[in-house]
Amino acid sequence: MLLFSMPSRLLRTVLALFFFLLAAASANAAPSTLDTIKQRGVLLWGCDIAGGAPLAFPDPKDPSRLLGFEADIAEAIARELGVRAQVVQTEWDSLVPGLERGNYDIAMNGLEIIPERQKRVLMSRPYYVYTLQLVVRKDETRINSIADLKGMTVGTLAGAMADSLLRKIGGVTLKSYSAVWPYDDLALGRIDAAFLDTPITAYYAKPDKRLKYVGPPEGEGFYGIAIRKDDRELKQAIDKVIDKLLRTGELKNIYDKWDLWDKTQTKLFETAAATDTASKLRTDSDEAPLSTFLPSLLKGAGMTVVLSIISMALAIGLGICLAFLRMYGPGALSAASAVYIEVYRGTPLLIQLFIIYYGLPNIGIVLSPFAAAIIGLGMNYAAYEAEVYRGGIEAVPKGQMEAALSLGMPRLLALRRIILPQAFRISLPAVTNDFIALFKDSSIVSVIAMVELTKTYSILAATTLRYFELGLVVALLYFGMSWPLSIMARRLERKLKGHK
Amino acid sequence: MIKIRNLYKSFGNHKLFQGIDLEVKKGEVIVLIGPSGSGKSTLLRCINGLEHFEQGEIDVAEIALHSLNRSRPSREDAEAIRQVRLKVGMVFQQFNLFPHMTVLENVVEAPVRVLGIDRGTAEKDALSFLRRINLESKALARPATLSGGEQQRVAIARALAMRPQAMLFDEPTASLDPETVGDVLAVIRDLVYQEGMTTLISTHEMGFAREIAHEVVVFDKGEIVEQGPPESIFTSPGQERTRTFLRRVLAK
Repeated sequence: MLLFSMPSRLLRTVLALFFFLLAAASANAAPSTLDTIKQRGVLLWGCDIAGGAPLAFPDPKDPSRLLGFEADIAEAIARELGVRAQVVQTEWDSLVPGLERGNYDIAMNGLEIIPERQKRVLMSRPYYVYTLQLVVRKDETRINSIADLKGMTVGTLAGAMADSLLRKIGGVTLKSYSAVWPYDDLALGRIDAAFLDTPITAYYAKPDKRLKYVGPPEGEGFYGIAIRKDDRELKQAIDKVIDKLLRTGELKNIYDKWDLWDKTQTKLFETAAATDTASKLRTDSDEAPLSTFLPSLLKGAGMTVVLSIISMALAIGLGICLAFLRMYGPGALSAASAVYIEVYRGTPLLIQLFIIYYGLPNIGIVLSPFAAAIIGLGMNYAAYEAEVYRGGIEAVPKGQMEAALSLGMPRLLALRRIILPQAFRISLPAVTNDFIALFKDSSIVSVIAMVELTKTYSILAATTLRYFELGLVVALLYFGMSWPLSIMARRLERKLKGHK
Repeated sequence: MIKIRNLYKSFGNHKLFQGIDLEVKKGEVIVLIGPSGSGKSTLLRCINGLEHFEQGEIDVAEIALHSLNRSRPSREDAEAIRQVRLKVGMVFQQFNLFPHMTVLENVVEAPVRVLGIDRGTAEKDALSFLRRINLESKALARPATLSGGEQQRVAIARALAMRPQAMLFDEPTASLDPETVGDVLAVIRDLVYQEGMTTLISTHEMGFAREIAHEVVVFDKGEIVEQGPPESIFTSPGQERTRTFLRRVLAK
């Protein structure tokens, strides 16, 4: 109605503008990614620079600068395309999904050329041949090759070939790392061995005096650059550039600079080999029905439940102590409790977990991932519980304590028999809420190599690239566990209310 | 039984009592009257240690409270206050029943936990108290399901179950519906006439005060204006402030 009542000239102008914008928008969608790169003069490349050296990492002296052989290659490619390179920081697990979403033009960060990946994205011709190196503690005598790994706990990289090779041996407990390397855990005895790509091993494990190499390098594979499925033109351009860098020897120079050139790299000249090696690793995970993953997901879910329950028990116990100290403790203890609560509520759980797991070993306290997870979650939630209980106790009318005292009850007895049972009823809804929150927050402990439901998901998804379906299944598992919990909590609440 | 000498009490900068004296003999019934905020409740709360005071002495059944540091009591002081509370029962304006317990549990709790009486005996005792206040049938009910008058009668039974030597009633009928006031007063009356319980009551029920008191004490602004037998206070008050107060209450 409004539109028709407008003066016709204005209407025409508005319509013209509308169609102009429409045309402009569709014209924008037309150019290829290669044209877009040239137009904007910047090649955007996705990479997890937190993944570390020597692939791509921030210069410790000037964190705004990027170092690493992949950084060098990205520069070279950009130069050949007549543009400059700019990195887009992305979690390693999310590199391919990020590429598909159009966050950047290409992804390069030790992405192996494997069929699972090639189903979703194009892979350029290889720019590096990697092998896998087994690393153990200096004093290790049991392990001399990967065949000795049966029954051992081994650290690898999520979604990598190391993972697939070790699964073939069987009986090996795998621990997938992504945010940090497993070498500290290895030196501390949390795992028995580490099995990672050679560039990483060369940079992190070789100089480490607590560790040693055992066995020959295993299972050759290729790193390639990931490009979106419909960007054939860009793939051709990048293949051509890599070919040129190889022939002119620039690539060798880059690898020499990082001490990475060895005779296996000559295989880069025979590109065809890439698919052969890769097909050795072919797994049928892509065609497998979702139910194949259910056992490991359920195992992860079980771990999540156990973790949540024990952490919550710790949080409740410690929370009660903190609340009591804060309310009734002598000055110093009361202040200490207040500080504890404020510090734990005022800092991120993630940082607390990192300090407990990776920081405490510096002062000689080495915790297993399980213990660290429980202590981290429990101590964090204790701060919230303490405040909930304090609120509950303060919400009990003053007359209750007076009535109890006037009956000759000592203060402690009055607290235990009269105040706390009422405070408990008042606090209960908040406590069940916290438990549901903790249940979901427990996913955060996956950063300290704790394999619970979320970690199981990220491992499976990274290997199979079935982020969507597996994600739905995992979300459903979480929901299926927390929903009955909130129903039970509501029922309990109603029952207690009725008794008032 | 209860002796108060030269009591000083203030709330922050507000000085309430500046030297109060009062004595309650065994078996005596004393009714405190006076406007709201005149100090009746505070005096009762001082007697059983719910309020501390700055100066003066309170002796309850030979236990002296004057030397205690009541704001931060030591262990011995806290125990002395507790001994006093075992000797005098208290009934509050707001009843203060324990909502998470049944009526019976409310009555049994302190005898079992504090006096160490075994639960069976305590329950039998409690039931006989409940029978006396005519609430035996509600023994297993929760306080929230009871009327105000019923709750207050349970609160009285709960205090009596500790076998106190004296009772303090702090405006026991002030928050009750008019139709339930009578039942509560009947219980107090019964206690006084049948058992000769030493009793201190603050109340606005003038008829009841006149009927039951051996002595009436008139409070105003933290001072005892006058005190004497009910007949003289109600028919020929000696002080203008008493007359003003009585005119105001009785006009209602």
